[in-house]
Amino acid sequence: MRLRAPIAAACVVGIAIAAYLTYVHYAHTSPVCTTGGCEKVQRSKYAELGGLPVALLGLIAYVTLLGLAFARGMNAATAGVFVAAVGVAFSGYLLWAQLGPIDAICQWCLGNDVTIAVVAALYVVRLLTEESG
Amino acid sequence: MTAREVIRSLDAGLEERHVRSLLVHPVGMPRNRLLVLGSAIAAAVAAVVVIIVVAGSGSGPSTTTTTTTSQPGGGGTEARSTFAGVPQHDDTLGKASAPVTLTVFEDPQCPFCRQWNIDTLPTVVENYVRTGRIKIVYRGIVVIGPNSVAGLRAVYAAGQQNKLWNMVEALYERQGDENSGWITLGAIRSAAREVGAAPAKVITSADSKAVDAKLTQAANLARTYGVNGTPTFAIQKPLGAFVQLRVSSLDPGGFTSSLDQALR
Repeated sequence: MRLRAPIAAACVVGIAIAAYLTYVHYAHTSPVCTTGGCEKVQRSKYAELGGLPVALLGLIAYVTLLGLAFARGMNAATAGVFVAAVGVAFSGYLLWAQLGPIDAICQWCLGNDVTIAVVAALYVVRLLTEESG
Repeated sequence: MTAREVIRSLDAGLEERHVRSLLVHPVGMPRNRLLVLGSAIAAAVAAVVVIIVVAGSGSGPSTTTTTTTSQPGGGGTEARSTFAGVPQHDDTLGKASAPVTLTVFEDPQCPFCRQWNIDTLPTVVENYVRTGRIKIVYRGIVVIGPNSVAGLRAVYAAGQQNKLWNMVEALYERQGDENSGWITLGAIRSAAREVGAAPAKVITSADSKAVDAKLTQAANLARTYGVNGTPTFAIQKPLGAFVQLRVSSLDPGGFTSSLDQALR
């Protein structure tokens, strides 16, 4: 459980990014952007999945990962790896969409990619070192 | 051997076995944990693939377009009924005497523009344009990619036949994936035919200097007012400045509520 603090810290960073992008989506405003492609990405069809903004799905995932950080045991660690791996896989899909069909890069998405990768790595270490029982 | 020596030798044996076991299986990493890890990652990847396939095929503009184009006339009928009896001149929809101008910056490849045009524009036309409260001006800008230019040219060319807004809607009905190249000559021809514009004339006029001027005018206006996304709305009241309209939502309720506030 010594990984609780770093996992929680990374999740808080992820929550901040996802919450900001969720706000931008629903407020129909432009995200603060230095790469010039954030708005294009945010307004592309890849920004929604099943009618829900992907930023909101990311927010839900980070909140879940934050909650699991404080839960003990192998089940919590396994669930954390699963949710984080879903996040990494989905981030990979969105990165592909940015580099391919959308042809624009969003700095917030890249920030999220790094954050979810860190969270996933920490959860993997936690799963492999978690005390049984 | 005393009892103490026996205990010490047992301890040494245990320690040696423990060190050996650490070399084979690092601390806290029994083999079954690697299996759990692998299974969790594999399940996650499978879940994401399923989610993308299912959600991607169940929603989104491209799927709707496919459905619409497989039923010829469906979208066109809707497009005609939205604008039937409403004056159209060039890029302006509504009576020239309407006191307020609503300017809309759009890109034919933009899915949110499609959403606004299909879901909300009919309500705006019915309640604000037909009643003479506002007129709407189309400003087509390229945001998504090069294929948008072909769509914008066709839209402005249809404007020369006073069918711009019908053409905009007909193209949205055919909207495909961004930058997939769905705005083809065939799509333009079929959209033009559907809205009652002469297809050959639309295609010829698309490369005219008049259309070039319209594209330049819209791009300059967008640059001047810092418009870099679509759809972007702006309101101009009599003797008033060109003010960006911040909308709470693109659906009819949210949009008209923001519009009402701006018109007060």
